[in-house]
Amino acid sequence: MPVETEIIPFLQWLPGAVLYWLLAVVILTVAASLLGLLVAAVEYGPWAAVGKTWRVVTAGVADVVRISPRRVWALTRLAVKESVRRRVVVVFAVFILVLAFAGLFLDPGNPNPARLYLSFVLTATSYLVLLLALFLSAFSLPTDIRTRTLHTVVTKPVRPSEVVLGRMLGFTIIGTGLLLIMALVSYGFVVQGLGHTHTLTAEDLRSVGQAEGSQPRFQIGKTSQDRRHRHQVMIEASGQGRTDVDQGHWHESSVTGSGTDVRYKVGPPKDMLVARVPVYGSLRFRDPEGIDRPEGINVGDEWSYRGFIQGGSPAALIWSFQDVDERTFPEGLPVEMTIGVFRTHKGVIERGILGSVSLRNPRTGLTVELEVFESKEFATKELTIPRKITKFVASPQVVPRKEETPEGVKFTPQQADLDLSLAERREFDLFEDLVDDGRLEVWVRCLEPGQYFGAAQADLYLRAADAPFVLNFVKGYFGIWLQMVLVIGFGVMFSTFLSGSVAMIATLGALVGGFFSQFMTELARGQVHGGGPLEAATRLVMQENLMSELESGVWTTIMQMADTVLKGGLWVISSILPAFGRFSYTEYVAYGFDISRELLLMRSVNAVAFLLPVFVAAYFFLKIREVAR
Amino acid sequence: MQSDIIIETRNLTKVYRDFWGRQKVRALKALDLEIRRGEIFGLLGPNGSGKTTTMKLLLGLLFPTSGQALIFGRDATDVTKNERIGYLPEESYLYRFLNAEETLDFYGRLFNMSSSVRRERAAQLINMVGLGSAKRRQLREYSKGMTRRIGLAQALINDPELILLDEPTTGLDPIGTRAMKDLILDLRSQGKTVVMCSHLLADVQDVCDRIGILYQGELKELGRVDSLLKVRNVTEFRASGLDEAAQEEIKQVIERHNGELIFVGNPTSTLEELFLNIIAESEAHPGRRARGGGDADAS
Repeated sequence: MPVETEIIPFLQWLPGAVLYWLLAVVILTVAASLLGLLVAAVEYGPWAAVGKTWRVVTAGVADVVRISPRRVWALTRLAVKESVRRRVVVVFAVFILVLAFAGLFLDPGNPNPARLYLSFVLTATSYLVLLLALFLSAFSLPTDIRTRTLHTVVTKPVRPSEVVLGRMLGFTIIGTGLLLIMALVSYGFVVQGLGHTHTLTAEDLRSVGQAEGSQPRFQIGKTSQDRRHRHQVMIEASGQGRTDVDQGHWHESSVTGSGTDVRYKVGPPKDMLVARVPVYGSLRFRDPEGIDRPEGINVGDEWSYRGFIQGGSPAALIWSFQDVDERTFPEGLPVEMTIGVFRTHKGVIERGILGSVSLRNPRTGLTVELEVFESKEFATKELTIPRKITKFVASPQVVPRKEETPEGVKFTPQQADLDLSLAERREFDLFEDLVDDGRLEVWVRCLEPGQYFGAAQADLYLRAADAPFVLNFVKGYFGIWLQMVLVIGFGVMFSTFLSGSVAMIATLGALVGGFFSQFMTELARGQVHGGGPLEAATRLVMQENLMSELESGVWTTIMQMADTVLKGGLWVISSILPAFGRFSYTEYVAYGFDISRELLLMRSVNAVAFLLPVFVAAYFFLKIREVAR
Repeated sequence: MQSDIIIETRNLTKVYRDFWGRQKVRALKALDLEIRRGEIFGLLGPNGSGKTTTMKLLLGLLFPTSGQALIFGRDATDVTKNERIGYLPEESYLYRFLNAEETLDFYGRLFNMSSSVRRERAAQLINMVGLGSAKRRQLREYSKGMTRRIGLAQALINDPELILLDEPTTGLDPIGTRAMKDLILDLRSQGKTVVMCSHLLADVQDVCDRIGILYQGELKELGRVDSLLKVRNVTEFRASGLDEAAQEEIKQVIERHNGELIFVGNPTSTLEELFLNIIAESEAHPGRRARGGGDADAS
């Protein structure tokens, strides 16, 4: 699942993020100025150093403010031409070659081929484009310095800021062009690779519900086996029908003509390439005593992302939704869920674990159990709750919410206010009886004793109208584009003071570090089991598990103190490196989830927040270095 | 009012250091120099004497270890000074994937020149350096001489007041060398200041008004070329149409005044002049064997 952390609304996120950014920029600026002052003091003496540092800083402000667009554009065009000369189109040729081989090897029998194809094209594109960005940006300036072509540029009225900006823009333009072409080819590859149909003949179908001498009500049967799967098909008396869902898609089917002229048709795959717009609720857990808890049972996983509930008891996973209304869900309530299963005994292993889905009105407590389902480990279950509810799997109930407070157990609504007559009805309207002022609760219970259901907040959502897939695909590539621009920024920055190969390694280090920055942050904050780097290394050597306490002693104390220092270093590194992984939307596109505008905005602002200091740092590195040797 | 001093260095020193900050070589030692508007100044010296280091310090490509270099009264590291400077490096460090027109267009953009001015100026310079027929060929296909010429064109794209030429005649054939020297003299006649460094002494002698001689990073001599080269105790006369008797009479006059006759004979032309005459004659009369100059004229 792509959404494992809650996405905060952009405007709520922005002030804190800006404050954090400003703080980081101020700290880095002060640290860099002090370092510059120190180096200059060693070289020229303290008084001259102050003067020189002041001049560099003031000249820096002027150089950034007085950037000439014409000069920047000239340098941008030069970078583009240089990239073309360095045969960047080879990357495109490699991409085509990779796709050609992938077409042969991608498994058409995969349970979700769309996910496979989309993951593949997005991953292949991002690897190739990031590698290209890495090479172009890291080697360009050092090559110009080595061949001295930069001498004829910097002896013109060109500011270092313009040199840096020209490179960054030039490589971004060439990378963007290549990425656009790759996106187009990838889209064609996915559509072509997933497009298929099945054949249907009279022999494949049998009539169902046929009264003596009358037309059959349905025809059911199986389509032909294509792409390693076949569908169950049901055609109504009108001649229109559809298949079941297999490999994440279904087909429309139809029958035309009659007698010897009858023709069966199966359409192209439907719902294969989707961009669901999920509406998430907040999750709480009901324990076997019926009391609400913020967390579920830990079944022993170190990854405590999902909480579990016990089967065959009143325990339930409860999602509370806001803003549920007829306008958003005119056709009823489409619910999609992926429920994890923890078995304490094997049971019938081919069969899933039984659970039920109920709806509850949070004000009145009216609870209607709608459907029993079979949860297969991490398979997505889709169900649509109709507007008029007339079928239940158990009698409706009025269930108060129970919470533990210092004063004792609190009921909502209170026992005295419960309107038990509500449960006597046999027909309910979804929006009038179960939704209260936009609020609705969805309960999921595990029906089998000894088994457990587990879920996280994002594992059940209401599926509002889908967004256009093509747009989501483009958003996925926008994520790769952001990563590419960041790599170019870091590559150009390192290349202003390092040789080509060293700049490349440094950029690669930043890239890899960035992918692990989330882990480094958690490690620095002590949120990872097993302690800091030294403690973890000791555990490895001593074959100690992550959870056991280390023996106390001098060595342990020294090691943990050293770890505190190392964790500080890791925190600094993780704070100044962009978390590259967060810019990847591959999972969203592959799993068929819409990439929200909030997320796009956040990541775009994130990228700019990194690029600005990177640009300024690159400027100063180029400004204070001697171009000639 | 504009200052007459275009370049001024005060105690300019450059020490090259290794990665650890240890001194490797003192390339320039306390150079004090003033170069005035409208003169052609030559920096002479053997390889490693500090000529190119001085040039790079003046251009801001290197930073001085101590002392100061001022161009138009501004610090050499100030990029705005470059608006009035043209620079021809020792090798023509140009982008070899561009053609002549693209090269000049690129450098013109760096001077913030408008499109029409760039086009006009590029056409003018390409004609001036004689690359009209090769203007759309990539520089990678150019000969060394052609590369020097396009290098010179880029140095003049902004019609600079000060032109710095690092070994301007290196790699040029005699015709190119003469053209380069003529151009340098032409630039002076336009009121521009030229600073060149070279180890080809004849070229420097031909064009420079003043020279400075560097050796091991130190300025050993500085002054006007004509006064530095003048041999004060030797008198030279040149005459034509004298017969044997007249020459004998002049010898006697010299002896009478206690002078020592050092040489009497016919002067020789330079190899450069002979070569240029042959080329000129061959172009005027294709297919005929050229007779050159010098002795041929005398016979």
